[in-house]
Amino acid sequence: MFIFLRRASSDRAGARPYRLHVPRLRRSFALPALQSSRLTQAGLDTRLSIGKLPSMPLLRKWLAVSVIALVSTAAALADQQPSEPQTVSDVPLSPDELKNAISVDALTVPTPGEFFKAIEKGAKPNWTSQYRPPISIKSTDRAQMALNLGALIADGYIAVEAHDGQQVKNVGKDVLALAKKLSVSQSVLARGQSITQFAENNAWDQLNEELEATQNEVKKALVENRDTDLITLVSIGGWIRGTEVVTGLIIENYNPEDAKLLRQPALVSYLKGKLTQLPEKIRNDPLVQSVNSNLNGIQKMVSFPADHVPTIEEVKELNNAASKLTKEIGASE
Amino acid sequence: MIRFILMVLAAYVVMLAQCFADTDDQVAARSDVIDFAGAFQNDGFKIRDGNVFGRVSKDHPEVVAVNLYSGNSYWFTASTGQKAERLKLSVFEDNGKPVSYLPYEFSGRAAAGFSPDASGLYYVKVALQEGQPATFCLIYSYK
Repeated sequence: MFIFLRRASSDRAGARPYRLHVPRLRRSFALPALQSSRLTQAGLDTRLSIGKLPSMPLLRKWLAVSVIALVSTAAALADQQPSEPQTVSDVPLSPDELKNAISVDALTVPTPGEFFKAIEKGAKPNWTSQYRPPISIKSTDRAQMALNLGALIADGYIAVEAHDGQQVKNVGKDVLALAKKLSVSQSVLARGQSITQFAENNAWDQLNEELEATQNEVKKALVENRDTDLITLVSIGGWIRGTEVVTGLIIENYNPEDAKLLRQPALVSYLKGKLTQLPEKIRNDPLVQSVNSNLNGIQKMVSFPADHVPTIEEVKELNNAASKLTKEIGASE
Repeated sequence: MIRFILMVLAAYVVMLAQCFADTDDQVAARSDVIDFAGAFQNDGFKIRDGNVFGRVSKDHPEVVAVNLYSGNSYWFTASTGQKAERLKLSVFEDNGKPVSYLPYEFSGRAAAGFSPDASGLYYVKVALQEGQPATFCLIYSYK
């Protein structure tokens, strides 16, 4: 982003513009409204034209001097400011700050939609290839229902990415059915209707938001029903299904940039930590125990150094682990 | 006696409701930060439907853990909802080292734009540079 300031000198006709360099981020980042308002506040109005004030010689001279001074400052600033994002000389975080950092599901655990958005940056993924047959949960195991609810919401994101309105509606019905079993259907009911409406109108952006809101409504209703412990399982179900889908897409069209997305050691560690905090009754649930032990293996697979690029074999291994777990979660008995 | 028990129960319910309800400060901070993040929404960023509240003072910043993806670009935004405060946001790697980001500070609002090179854990620090201790709301947008 460059702002041009006209030089106020006698040879205005051949004046070269000065550049005030405002740092910009690498990937299509822009801060137009904010930065320009900042510059305007600083008096750097680029529309100021001295030549339009012929009848006020004193004012003209004063303005000319001011602009020259301003331009000199701006030019000096331009030399100092980097073109890359600003390297801020912040003091590193102390061990205490790292230890006491706040972790909350609502910000610390990325949504499946966020995961899917990251993989869309490369070649267009074949989302429909990641559909799975509808699941039928006959069991009354609430832990299993919560895990499946998370996985189903991830299915909703896949259908939205595939721009498949009918599939969105199908998944929406399944989410509602499962929400009923968990006694959280009242809060999801209105969302379900919006999802159907948006799907019929092909409003994909709104659908993405609606799915995220649905997940949050479910979690909120679980809190109100004193089923707070199940929230972790909804997040885990969504993350496992999301990992299965993303690894599946990477296998179809392998490229190193996409493979690097799979590095999430702290996230698995956080989810496992939440599992250990669950009440003993839920922790002893056979499915939860299986999820916990399978997450140990998955944690190793996603805990690679920042400069390591997973090979296609490593991606396949992770895909197998996530697929196995998704099937186990969705098994009717 | 029954009346007394009912009154105690009613008081308990009211207190419980207040514990779970957002305070006025939180409502103001959340409303302002969503308004602020709207600027990024216009640029294609999607606001995540989730937030964290905290309380900061000059000598007590708050640090929030987030898991980011290398393909995405992020804007973290925070507000106190009060114009008198001066907030600052900064981003750190999983080991606590500062990273390069685009900062923005204005009144009780602050933002940090960041594109991670590697997926994984990062920390966002919310610090109060000037003003009285305040409640803040932090959200993020991505694209």
